[in-house]
Amino acid sequence: MPEQQEFENGANGHILAGRYYGYGLPYLPIEHYPGKIIAIEGTDGVGRSTQIQLLREWLEVQGYGVVETGWTRSALMQPTIELAKSSNTLNKLTFVLLYATDFADRLEKEIIPALKAGFVVLADRYIFSALARAAVRGVDKAWLRSLYGFAISPHLVFYLKTDVDTLIRRVLSARGMDFWESGMDLKGGDDIYDSFRAYQNKLLREYNSMADEFSFRVLDARRPVDAIQEDLRRQVQTFLSSSDIGVEGPDVEASR
Amino acid sequence: MTPTTFSLLHATDFADRQLYNIVPPLKAGMIVLADRYAYTAFARDVARGVDRRWVRDLYSFAVRPDLALYFRVPIDVSLDRLMARRVKLKFYEAGMDMGWSQNLVDSFRIFQGKVLDEYDRLVDEFGLSVVDASLAITDQQQMVRNLVSRQLEKPAAAALAETVAG
Repeated sequence: MPEQQEFENGANGHILAGRYYGYGLPYLPIEHYPGKIIAIEGTDGVGRSTQIQLLREWLEVQGYGVVETGWTRSALMQPTIELAKSSNTLNKLTFVLLYATDFADRLEKEIIPALKAGFVVLADRYIFSALARAAVRGVDKAWLRSLYGFAISPHLVFYLKTDVDTLIRRVLSARGMDFWESGMDLKGGDDIYDSFRAYQNKLLREYNSMADEFSFRVLDARRPVDAIQEDLRRQVQTFLSSSDIGVEGPDVEASR
Repeated sequence: MTPTTFSLLHATDFADRQLYNIVPPLKAGMIVLADRYAYTAFARDVARGVDRRWVRDLYSFAVRPDLALYFRVPIDVSLDRLMARRVKLKFYEAGMDMGWSQNLVDSFRIFQGKVLDEYDRLVDEFGLSVVDASLAITDQQQMVRNLVSRQLEKPAAAALAETVAG
């Protein structure tokens, strides 16, 4: 069984941005690749997609090349994962591995080439949602970290944090509680609301427990869209200006 | 597919097979004959370039076999047999995705050479029982039966929790 409970790819137990968390992909050395990974994390219904879209537009206007990536979007894995979710024969380990395969595919085909080309990679969720979902299902945390040792540590991770009541109202107004978001596979009973609430609470606790380990920049997602975006832009601007791909561009508070 | 996605997809399939086809029969006291196991991944995936330690950690959920037989065959024998059956070497089987050669046969030779080197390491690392697969089938079967008989005479297998790599 893997021993390591936390990642430590640098000295003094720190995680270095832009490096592999663990053993990585030996056949793809990534040192000195100029691009940056900015990950936006959070549960369902926190408004990630909206924020990413706004961020993307703002970055492109400034002259940054931007590549977006998101979960289960890999051409290789999407059909398989859809099929898996609609069947009832898969166990938690199989799901974890399917998601990890999707991530590996996107990492190698989309993210790494973008980093090499000096692009900004906006990731709609990164490995942390996968880690949270797996941990809630009782999958060993050390094993999970070993599995994702091939992932690259993002340069910025924003965690859009909300509370379960706000989350519930948003999800119900939008599309309703589906089987998976309600953690129904955990078989806590037939009531979707109860299951959703309990499951999302557990997920929120998992995200909180990872905030320090992975240096999450926590943002209150219950504020208006503009307020959150302003916060994001300010922090991204500060980071990119001092990085090797920083460009001169319009004001952070560009009028909309 | 990349070496890593290839490795993960096979691990996914293995996890599924273990859940349905391996653990229940073991719990029922049956004998499970596995055509290939985690060791295939350790040899093949590492030959493709994944990290040796990573793939072992990946398979740490796999049940440790009571007996693992490695049918060792020199690369030329393997090639001769494939050629004799007029089998067309498949793309991934020949390691063509690795770009070692444009020629299927040459690529296969290079790839399988690396795989065989990895298997040799596994023999000591995991205590694999080697069967000389260049011998006649009946001779091999005799050796296999001897190994299996000896194994069956041993006391009942250790707890199911004992895993392949840890």
